[in-house]
Amino acid sequence: MTTTQSGKPAQAGGEEPVLRLRDVSKTIGRKTIVDKLSFDVRRGEIVGLLGPNGAGKTTAIRMMTGLIKISEGDVRIAGRSIRSDFKDAIVQVGAIIENPEFYPYMSGYDNLKQAARMTDSVTEERIAEVIALLGLQEALHKKVKAYSLGMRQRLGIAQALLDRPKLLILDEPTNGLDPAGIREMRDYLKKIAFSEGIAVLVSSHLLSEIEQMCTRVVVIQSGRLVTERAIGASGIGQERPELRVRVDRLGEAKQVLEQLDGVEVKETREAEREVIVLAADGEMTTLIDALRGADIAIYRISETKKSLEDEFLQWTGGNQIA
Amino acid sequence: MRNWTRLVQNEWLKLTKKRSFWVPVAMMAAIAALITFMLYKFSSTVSELGSGASYLAGMWGASGMGQFIAILSIVGTAGIIAQEHAQGTIKFLLIRSRSRGEIFAAKYAAVLLYTLMMMLVAGAALYVSGGLAFGFGSTGEQWLNALREGAYGFVYSTVYATMAFMIGALTRSTGVAIGVGLAGTMFGGLMVFKDFYKYVLFPNANLSVYSTMGPPLPGMSVGFSLIVLAVYMALFLAAGYTVFRRRDMA
Repeated sequence: MTTTQSGKPAQAGGEEPVLRLRDVSKTIGRKTIVDKLSFDVRRGEIVGLLGPNGAGKTTAIRMMTGLIKISEGDVRIAGRSIRSDFKDAIVQVGAIIENPEFYPYMSGYDNLKQAARMTDSVTEERIAEVIALLGLQEALHKKVKAYSLGMRQRLGIAQALLDRPKLLILDEPTNGLDPAGIREMRDYLKKIAFSEGIAVLVSSHLLSEIEQMCTRVVVIQSGRLVTERAIGASGIGQERPELRVRVDRLGEAKQVLEQLDGVEVKETREAEREVIVLAADGEMTTLIDALRGADIAIYRISETKKSLEDEFLQWTGGNQIA
Repeated sequence: MRNWTRLVQNEWLKLTKKRSFWVPVAMMAAIAALITFMLYKFSSTVSELGSGASYLAGMWGASGMGQFIAILSIVGTAGIIAQEHAQGTIKFLLIRSRSRGEIFAAKYAAVLLYTLMMMLVAGAALYVSGGLAFGFGSTGEQWLNALREGAYGFVYSTVYATMAFMIGALTRSTGVAIGVGLAGTMFGGLMVFKDFYKYVLFPNANLSVYSTMGPPLPGMSVGFSLIVLAVYMALFLAAGYTVFRRRDMA
């Protein structure tokens, strides 16, 4: 097994994570805005950064991009420190921080040229390529002040992708977009993450969006990491999924199931005639056999999937999200 | 270096792609022509000048049109940092593989270029209108005088444009930067007859006085003034850069 410099076992094919935060803190005066935040983002991942109002998401993102100073800890991008090796680290990053802002009196093309002149390797061909990728051809020579927000978002992604970054950081990318724009954005991001193999970090207040877009979420509150988990794979970190078993005779079913090892009855619901149990995959056959042995009819077994929103409220104690 | 000049190009385009870019340029040319016409028509002394170049020598420095050139240069460039903050484009600018020092230097270079451009526009307008009024036959000596006055005028405008540039970097406000820059050009007219005042920026900014009226205060000379100005400009740039480099862009 290969190991990384830190001596930990290497993951994802031994690659250094594209983004690595280690004990990153930001203090202003005596106030700690971000407190020892650590997480990684790897190649091909789309990671959501979630947190209620004032949790420190934007502050964290601004530290990752060098816009504000890191008080303690370090951010490494593809192994380069944003603190001590800024130019080599930031060259790997494309970002939109908050709204995509451009010089309003210039055309979209002129704005892209501005970005291109700040890098060493962007050619006319590459500019044409990102223009085509984001479907900007028609609006290209219009002044940016005439752009809709959706167009500005696309132009924002285009400038972020110009220099072929390894990491794309998007702060609230669907803010103010209409449903069609949101879907479009989601599709672009998935396309980019999977086809170009770059890592994406997205902060958003639209939890359902994050759920549909991201492969993993990092939840922070009051500047601290609350939880970090994969999306879509309910088994991870949850060895006994919660199941709803609908039966004909509720009382008997409850008695039968309570006697089984490895199955925990959480509650019964009279109205739906459902027993809510926690049971590992391996216990399923036992569970069904026991019910059938007692001649109890089973109508339905389904997993209760909490939406990300439910979980989010649970993690963060019901604070308002922003 | 080649890459740094592309940053200067970016800054220059940001200044010149604005539709309002032509307003001060046109104003400069029009006012230079108008003043020449008025002097030609109503003043008895200037008609003895005899040539466009000697007219230019009299008008190009801070004692002539110089203050106006400085004002337009300040108005044109004071927002070069503050505007990035106001538009939110500062984020776009600072998350590239460029140090803040390079960006600060490119912006200052654009300020100098703009000031130089205003000098040249004013010079061309003054020479052409002066030539039409007083004749184009200029001697080499007259040209040397004109060039010296042009250089002095450039120094004068640059001092106050640098001051406004620093204020823009410190306060992130275009309005405050313009206000302080303009106030600076006005203080240049005030004179305090105390010895310490020769170390203040204002009496040193107008180098043209040495060839017309002599030193404003005893112990001053062109070399003395140039040193004083260099020290002040270095302080302005150091202060502006220090703040720009360390600021949290929130």
